[in-house]
Amino acid sequence: MAELQKAEITGTPALNGTYISEMDMWPFETQEFNRIYPFYDNLRAGKFTTTKCKKCGHVTYPPQVICPKCWAEELEWVELPQRAKVVTLTETQAGAPIGFEPPLIMAWLTFGEKSPLKHLLGRIIHCKEGELKEGDEVKFVTFSVPAHPIEVKKDTKICDRVFYAFEPVK
Amino acid sequence: MAQKKNAVIVGGGTSKFGVRQAHILDMIQEAARACANDIPGLKPADIDGLIVATTMAGRHSSALNTAPLVVHRLGLKPTSLCIRLDTLCAGSNSAVIVAKGMIESGIAEVILITGAEKVYMPQRWETNYTQLAVNDHDWDSAMGLGVPPPFFAMIAKMHMKRYGTTKEQMAHVSVTNYAYGDGHVNGHFAGRTLTMEQALEARLIADPFGLYDCCPLSDGASAIIVASEERAKAMSDKPLVYLRGTGQHATHSMSAGWPGDTLAEWPHLKKAGEVAFKNAKLTPKDMDVIQTHDCFTISEIIELEELGFCNKGEGGAFAASGAIGINGVIPTNTDGGLLVYGHPFGASGARQAIEICKQLQGRAIHQVKNAAFGLTHNLSGTCAQHTVVVYGKEPVK
Ligand SMILES: [Zn+2]
Repeated sequence: MAELQKAEITGTPALNGTYISEMDMWPFETQEFNRIYPFYDNLRAGKFTTTKCKKCGHVTYPPQVICPKCWAEELEWVELPQRAKVVTLTETQAGAPIGFEPPLIMAWLTFGEKSPLKHLLGRIIHCKEGELKEGDEVKFVTFSVPAHPIEVKKDTKICDRVFYAFEPVK
Repeated sequence: MAQKKNAVIVGGGTSKFGVRQAHILDMIQEAARACANDIPGLKPADIDGLIVATTMAGRHSSALNTAPLVVHRLGLKPTSLCIRLDTLCAGSNSAVIVAKGMIESGIAEVILITGAEKVYMPQRWETNYTQLAVNDHDWDSAMGLGVPPPFFAMIAKMHMKRYGTTKEQMAHVSVTNYAYGDGHVNGHFAGRTLTMEQALEARLIADPFGLYDCCPLSDGASAIIVASEERAKAMSDKPLVYLRGTGQHATHSMSAGWPGDTLAEWPHLKKAGEVAFKNAKLTPKDMDVIQTHDCFTISEIIELEELGFCNKGEGGAFAASGAIGINGVIPTNTDGGLLVYGHPFGASGARQAIEICKQLQGRAIHQVKNAAFGLTHNLSGTCAQHTVVVYGKEPVK
């Protein structure tokens, strides 16, 4: 009876404790599911990278499998600037998507004239509400995010994951 | 070669928009019934093409291949076209572009376009969470970009900084749209009124937006009939409203590809508008009434600029001058728009088309005198794509 009540509350007993990738808030980062997996390997090494076209020289973000400018397949990994300036920002207290702790601070960042990456929407962490100002400098920072399982024949492999954000330069 | 046919919008209707106690397929049936009420000569057997515009049906209603479900529930037997289409907030407006081409080419004769969303789930968190999947999930969404207010709040801050736009000017948009919403009983906020004081004193949602600067997310469905001129005449004696020109422009999916100098410039909308006006052989000056994507008050202000109804940067002052009112230079969102009628993503474009159809047929609730030319516009995603359709009482010659 107790079991039945629990099932009624959780809704889909068959899925209890199951990883549902369709509801995952983070990317598939592993080689099994992504051809741009070096981006995530580079994140683990503290590097912010993307792909550059060997044919036309175009640097794109996010990294790709073909160059969006000339459709060449010959691409190489290059590093991007890790410092950016806050153009404008927004702080969310209520209504942040589940998984993002309020205050959720997002900023419109610019990377300077010389950077191939001109602007980006970046999450700002390690920062209190009201602390960040327009014109402030922020820097790239990485952190781990929850791992997920994948089936490899009869075994389960656990894929560790990482992601990036920005933090104020103090 | 056979001569190109003319495509017209015959009429349409919506379900009640709001937080609904209904399944997405229930609401589509309500919208189809409302559409038939609007076009007494319409028989389901006349419909040879179906386009279903929805974004969330797959995730929220477990209805990935939605069109056959609609075929079954509406008793249709389409022979020319039966598809689901998704461009998020521009779904049914995109469907108008497809329908126009299908009818002008003679492939289809009578197309039903229905747009619908079931947004609200048994637990409210799931709606916000689903929003992570409508942006560029692995990149912007992983930064926390889900529901739109934070992104558009940054757009508003930038527009205020660069062009001096004020909260009062933005409030003029919401107050005007609430006045237009009066009488539209199916609107999400039907029966509500708004004063300048209420707009300016409302609780903060995302600085600088108060509650009334933001449109609601809505459950709801809309349905319209797009047909050849000949078939339209056979099913309705109302004035013909022609689909004159369309434009759709997308430039990116995530923030790194934003095409403007800053967030306050939307060159991709400017381009979509130029293409639509060129195809329609008209200019912004020819327009009598327009429906633009007022997901936020600032959106309507920037759309007035980029679509060419005022100079860049002057949208705030233009709106506040009364230009968007019923006796203004360009009455805008005359059924209350997204701000008041509500916003079930895939349903909004067709809802706008219904209002332009009624305006040009001279039977709108807030009728613009002698309206002959009109326009609908949707943006989709985090302002990644723009869709524009131009209508007229005469076809392009
Ligand atoms: Zn290239």
